[in-house]
Formats: sequence, C-alpha cells, structure tokens
Amino acid sequence: MPRKSSGVSRRRVLAGGALALALSGMNFVVSKSTSRLLGAPRGRRVVVVGGGYGGVTAAKYVKKENPDAEVILIEKNQLFVSCPLSNLYLVGLINYGQLCFPYNRLHTKYGVKVINDFVTDIDLPKRRVYLSSGYIEYDYLILSPGIEYDFYEYPFYEEASWFYPGAFRPGSEHLYLKRLLEEFEGENVVFTVPKMPYRCPPAPYERAALMLSYIRENGLKAHMYFIDANEYPPVLREGFMKAYNDFYRGMATYITGATIKEIDIASKTIKTDKGDVRFDFGSIIPPMRAPKFLEEIGLIYDDEKWVRVDPMTFETKVRNVFVIGDSCESYLPKSGYAANSQAKVVARIVADRIRGKEPEGELIQHGVCYAMVNLRSAIMVEVEYKYNVKTRKVKKILREDNTWKVSTAKRYHEWARGLWRDMFF
Amino acid sequence: MDRRGFIKTCTAVAAASLASPSLFINSLKAQELEFKAYKKAILLKKDGTSLKPEDVDPGKQYIFFYPHRATPCILANLGKEVPSTEVKLSDGTTYRWPGGVGPEKSIVAYCAICPHQMSHPTPEFSFINYYPENIPSKIVKRGGVIQCCAHLSVFDPAKGGEVIDGPAPQPLTAIVLRYEGGKLYAVGTLGKELYEDFFDVFKPDLRKLYRSTRKAKKLVDKCEVTEVEEYAQEVIRC
Repeated sequence: MPRKSSGVSRRRVLAGGALALALSGMNFVVSKSTSRLLGAPRGRRVVVVGGGYGGVTAAKYVKKENPDAEVILIEKNQLFVSCPLSNLYLVGLINYGQLCFPYNRLHTKYGVKVINDFVTDIDLPKRRVYLSSGYIEYDYLILSPGIEYDFYEYPFYEEASWFYPGAFRPGSEHLYLKRLLEEFEGENVVFTVPKMPYRCPPAPYERAALMLSYIRENGLKAHMYFIDANEYPPVLREGFMKAYNDFYRGMATYITGATIKEIDIASKTIKTDKGDVRFDFGSIIPPMRAPKFLEEIGLIYDDEKWVRVDPMTFETKVRNVFVIGDSCESYLPKSGYAANSQAKVVARIVADRIRGKEPEGELIQHGVCYAMVNLRSAIMVEVEYKYNVKTRKVKKILREDNTWKVSTAKRYHEWARGLWRDMFF
Repeated sequence: MDRRGFIKTCTAVAAASLASPSLFINSLKAQELEFKAYKKAILLKKDGTSLKPEDVDPGKQYIFFYPHRATPCILANLGKEVPSTEVKLSDGTTYRWPGGVGPEKSIVAYCAICPHQMSHPTPEFSFINYYPENIPSKIVKRGGVIQCCAHLSVFDPAKGGEVIDGPAPQPLTAIVLRYEGGKLYAVGTLGKELYEDFFDVFKPDLRKLYRSTRKAKKLVDKCEVTEVEEYAQEVIRC
C-alpha cells in the first residue's frame, strides 16, 4: 500500500532549508530555486547525498547491482579526502596525496551522475532534494552526510577548533594540524577526546600514540595531557593501555572521565571538572553529532543527535529514505569502513526494490579497524553482524587483536588500499 | 574438470533429475554459465620439468599465474581426498566444483584475488594465503583455509572456495585442474571471475611489472609453480 505521508511537516522542512543554507557556508541568502533538474524520475532514480565512504560506495554499488538504476551523487567537494589513515599523514608516515581520490571513475566506469553542489533543502513529502541550481526528484534517497562538530551544545569548542583543530573532518584541518605539529618546539601538548559516540572510536587513541612517538623521534621535551571524556578507550582498551605503559610511560598524563567546561585560547587553558590544564599546542576534538539539517527535516527528533534507522536495513521512518554512515545510530561503530559495509547493504535493498522485490538471504554489516600504537606497529578489531532476512535473527562476531605487530601495520595499509579500490575503481 | 569428474557430475545430476527433471536442466545451465575454458597450461617446477602431485607439499602453499600472465593462483595439497561439491552464490545460483585432482584427489587451485577488495599476492606482500593444517588461522582457529588478512575474509578450499567468514561477497574463483599421465594442468576457471576489474584497478602496477597491460593479459600455456614464501618478500598471516 502506498504511503500517504512521510510523517514530516512542511514547516519543519522549510525550517530545515533555511538552516541548511546557513550551515552550507554560504554568506548570502538565496531564494530556493524552483527549477526542476534532470526531469521527472521513473521509479528508478536514486539520489545519494554525501560523497564520503558511505555515499560513494552506495552510489557505485546500486549501479553495480542494478545498472538500470539512475544514480545521482551529490557532493560539495570535487575531491575525496580520507579520514582513515590521516593520523599517519600527521606524523609523516604517508603523504597527503595518498588520502585523495577524484570522483571521475564513478561516472566514467559506473555511470553515476556526480553533481558538485550544496544541498540546501530536502523535502521528504515531495521527494525532492534542493541544490543551489534547482531541485532533483527522487524515488530512493540515501543520505550519508557524515558528522558535524556539535558547536550548538558546546559553543566554546568553535574558536578552539580554529587554533587547535580536532582534525576529524577531512580536508584542511589535517593540513593545519600537521603544520602546528611541525612548528611545535616543546612543553605542554593537550589532546582531548569527546564522549562516545563519535567518529572512529580508536582514532584519538591512535593519534595520541603517534604524536607521542613523533615527540620522542624528534627529541622534543614535551608532556601530553590527554583529557578523555570516557573512562577508557572504548575499543582496543587492552592494547592501547599496554602501549601507553610500555612505550610512553612518563610522557603523558591521562585524565579520564573528564568534562571540559571551558577552553580559553588567550591563556591557553582548558578548564575541566578534574582541574585546569595549560598547554602550548594541541588537538582539541569537539563532541560530534549528525548534521543539524537532518533534525530540521524531521529525521532526528526528541533532542537526539543521530538518526534512528532500522539497524539492519538503515531505512528511516520514511520508506525508501535511508541514512548510512556516521550520521545514523547503528550497531557498528562510526567509521569509514562501517559506512562502506552499510552502503552495500542499502545498495542491495534499493537495487532489489527497483526490480520490485525485497532482498533474500543475509544482510551482512562488517567492520574492521586498525590503529597504530607507535610509528611501526598496529592493533586491530573486527565486528560483524549477520542478519538473516527470513528468520530475522542476528549473529554477532567481535574479535580484537591487542598484540601489536609490524605485520598488522602493513595489513592496515592494505586495508585502506582495498577500501579505496572498492570505492573509486 | 577432468573427464572422470565431469562424467561423475553428470551422473549425479542425471540421478537427481529422475526426481526433478528441472534440476538437471538448471544444473547444466549453471555449469555452462560458470565454467570458462582457457588454454590448457601445464604446471611446471622451477627447473622446467613437469610438476608432479608428490611435489606439492601439504604443509606449504604455492603460487602460479593462470589463465593470464598476471593473474595469481594459489595451489595447495589439502592432504586428503576432496570430493566434488555444490557451491552457492549469494544470488542463489549454484555450480558444481569438481573437487581435488591427483592420485589422492587432494590438489586444488584457486584464483588468489580476494573477491572482497582484490588483495592478491605481489612480489612485495602476500596478504591472502593458504593455511595448511600445521599453520592454523588465528581468526577461525584452524588450518585448511584460505584467508585474506586485509579484511579477514576466510574461504574453504575443500568446498570450492566458499566463504566461511568475513566480508567477501562470493567464493574464490576456482581454477579447474586436470591430472593426466602423471602431470598437472590448468584448463579453465569456475565461478565468478574478477579479471576485468583486476586489470582495470591495478593497471599502473601491472604496467610496472609487465611493461604493458597487453603483456599482463597474455594467456599462458605453461605455468611455473613457486612457493609463495619464495615469490613474495613477506607473507603476512593472521
């Protein structure tokens, strides 16, 4: 039976449009374009918003699974820059170019139409995605917009982010943080981790380890104050804690379960409920949330910060609208690899629905993450959820390898190369 | 598939078709879809003499390149008779893998390109490997598997390369071997091939190794078999 309503009011949608415009970085107001782009859809148009790990994979795999689908990927940047492996760039283990990929093959090999533009609004009842140049109607919508720093609830992080980037969004933050690290001559380093959930749980702990390795390698006299809102590393706890004890004893003070109250850039002081920390340089990772426009279009509600989806199909409360990757509340931890895996699940569902059927067998979400503990060695974790569509039973696997090895670090590189091959070639 | 194996398969299918005539037709159709014949290529030792089944140590893994000059395959002696089996793809279609060859019917070969994200042995690293019984996988805690350590896909070489664990969406492509007159030959592939994507994705790497894609794609009629540990500088297991 066709749905009569998406459950989202028009007023909320319009409010969303205004806010999305503000968030999009435009410093002028434009009226919403009423021109329709690409003509009317014919039951097989899939619009994917966000060209990160989830969006790229979804766009490619919908086309791969069903070449009859008309797939449009909307991404504001012309270049993909990877967050996974970016910690290795910060300490000089890889160069920046290795993190960058063009979107060309998605179009030339798979026939995905890639549009470099901002999404200014989404009208769920009318199934329209508004861009600066007009609107596109869709039959299926896959949203993969990643995270935003939560400056709404924690405004004092915003100024700090300019000075000491958290570098959890791809692009210029990593370039600037690396520059700061190279300028650093010693004394106090501060490093902050927000409370879970945030993007890529092991990444802050990897970065702390790599920065401490870098400090030692470069003969800097420095001490790290590691302010963690969590009590312990939420993943690979045993491996990280052992590495900190074995490799960096005396180089860092680990302050756990701490709430940051204020960041004073002028005096370079972070005030926490466990005392104040003065610093000379640092990386301050703000709390995160799904992009605010998802709330304004009605997909986030009750003051939550992530989109509630069916955890096995990623479908929202609106049929044929899916949210994947870091923006959704999912079983897998937020990460590029998880988004890649979730995208394949959704691609299969959408490709099947276009054919007029529902998927059979198993829908598998798989997550593998690696983390360096020094400049040579790494640890890793694997999580898997297998969902049997018929029996509706879920089988979970969790494996951690907390014993650091040089060979695991080599696997880490191949892990990333495989992901990028899967997305861009 | 060797002649005897093929006849056995047909016999089994024909017997089953007595119960269900459509099964016979469907099985043959699937078989036609999945088996692809290439040049018959003899497997050779490094000294140029033919590889004999007794040269394939059950405690080791071997590599050769077939059907193209640049497409790697794993060769293994599973140390026991490996019967023919039905292999199922995620879309529900099946094909019959003919089982091991040689006097013990224990020798098998698979394309060494991981169907997940195409890790494969290179002169530098081998992330996808056969784990003999004496080197068990730490992931599934047993030997007798082929495993890719990049993303932890695990395959069963005794079951036509089917996926045991991990994210691989399909089984390994089987290399169909034939045992004739004491010699081993590769004659084709069974299952979904990845060669088109492989040559596209790795074009720059293959150009470095083989000077041109055309040379990398050249079909072979003889294959030198080497231990993976000799071919790759580093064999990475997990």
